[in-house]
Amino acid sequence: MNKTSNLGSIYFGIFGVIVLAFGIIELMVAATVGMEGACWGPLEMAGMFLWWRAIILICAGLFYLSSLSNFLDVRQLAKSVVASIMIWIVAGMAIWARIAASIPGGPEEGTPWFNPEFLVTYGPPYMPEVFLLPLSLVIIYFICRRKALTTE
Amino acid sequence: MELTVDQRWSLVDRVVKETVEIGAYEPTLKDALADVTVRPLTGIPFAIAVIYGFWMFFCEFAGTLFTDGFFVKIFDVHFLPWIQGIFLGKDTWLYFILVGDPLAENCFEAFGVLTSGLFIALGVVLPAIVAFYLVFAFLEDVGYLPRLAVLVDTVLHKIGLHGYAIVPTFLSLGCNVPGVSAVRPLETRKQRFMMITLLGIFIPCGAQIGIMQELIPEMIGWVFLALAAGYMGLGFILNKIWPGTSPELLMDVPPYQMPTWGNMWRKLSLRVGHFLKVAIPFVLLGCVIVAVMYLTGAMDWLAGSLQPVLTGVFGVPSETVAPLVAGFLRKDLAVGMLGGIEMTAWQMFTSVVLLTIYFPCLAAFALMIKEENWKEFLATIACLIAMVFVYGGLLNLIGMGMGVA
Repeated sequence: MNKTSNLGSIYFGIFGVIVLAFGIIELMVAATVGMEGACWGPLEMAGMFLWWRAIILICAGLFYLSSLSNFLDVRQLAKSVVASIMIWIVAGMAIWARIAASIPGGPEEGTPWFNPEFLVTYGPPYMPEVFLLPLSLVIIYFICRRKALTTE
Repeated sequence: MELTVDQRWSLVDRVVKETVEIGAYEPTLKDALADVTVRPLTGIPFAIAVIYGFWMFFCEFAGTLFTDGFFVKIFDVHFLPWIQGIFLGKDTWLYFILVGDPLAENCFEAFGVLTSGLFIALGVVLPAIVAFYLVFAFLEDVGYLPRLAVLVDTVLHKIGLHGYAIVPTFLSLGCNVPGVSAVRPLETRKQRFMMITLLGIFIPCGAQIGIMQELIPEMIGWVFLALAAGYMGLGFILNKIWPGTSPELLMDVPPYQMPTWGNMWRKLSLRVGHFLKVAIPFVLLGCVIVAVMYLTGAMDWLAGSLQPVLTGVFGVPSETVAPLVAGFLRKDLAVGMLGGIEMTAWQMFTSVVLLTIYFPCLAAFALMIKEENWKEFLATIACLIAMVFVYGGLLNLIGMGMGVA
């Protein structure tokens, strides 16, 4: 139990710092550049709700960091789960926005009803939350591990 | 023997003390999650994330995918030119009522029953309502809504309401009719009166939000901020001046659970069906009334009569009288009609806020009469008129101060 707990603390300690850093950078971009945002290679921080996303990421990062001691205790683990759900919501909506925008062919006369090149629209750049999404899924392993350890 | 609220609570405490034995209990992850999402420090950021998700889904589903993606093209590029072409007698009253302006290039500007009426009802309102009720049913089914009520309980107590008030408020964001009906569990007349008044004045329905998102996407946050400030401000005042008590309310908070898709589908189809039955006839009737008023010259007379107030006090063009008339039947139709009037961004912002707080739609209005007694009803109307002038005047002053009015 202790070994798994330590592993969880180390992983989500590092991950929490990364999430918090992304949140702070998004907040700085929102405060300085505004919703036009900035783009660095495959990473993009822009859009109407940049402030919201920054605040959500900062809070998620803080939740991860506050859950580190005695990580597998159910109350501590719950904080990490909530932080992960927050990242899933933001990343899920970023993906959903891409899907929704990729389907219609365009409003002008003569354009097709459905976008024949819809796959192109799924290419980078992506928001930081999308990069964080797969890394946050690791929480599912710890939920299952805790369940297994408590029933053993 | 009749017990007061406090006596009832004391009795409940005594019964619990004598009958319930609390032993050692190891909480599950579900319990811990339930606890984390109602504690303000962790619950408020989580609520922000949930509302963000709600809003993004709503905008992308209704706005980007259906309305902008398909319905604008169907109605503006295909349907409008077709219907303008097949209807003969462009200068007849029947053409004006059914098709509207023969020179209109989009359905927002046409104002006809079959053009603006159908586009607003089916092209804009329907996707917005489906998106709203889909997410609402999901949140209800997983058990998050009662937790949101617990979370906002402290804030709402400041204005004499219980956390449960978030449920009618949320419901009203879909449609004011079920929202007003949902105030019944509130315990006192004072709370019910306050809730109905606040819902009728400050809560825009899903259809209206869909149209706002279409017309003023960059300003919608400010509209909500202005309305939220009014909701809290008027609530605070009413709590101070309206006689009556605001007792506690016991609310069941169910455990978190996986949503039942069949259950969600039933709730969604029931609510959307009910909404369409109420909304579509009123949207079409609104178009007919506005067209007849234009044809008979009544609209021009009304615009001329109300010009000193509309232009002088509120700083909006006198043409907004037509949406104000239509707004009594359907707010979404009224906000949609604003799209066809030439005005500055600030005037559009002021007009949208005024349309939201000015009279609830006819269906909600009828229900308010049913739920309130005459004294309460007249007080609601007085609040409404006062708020229209306070908000209209203030926004005009702010606009003039900023040099944008």
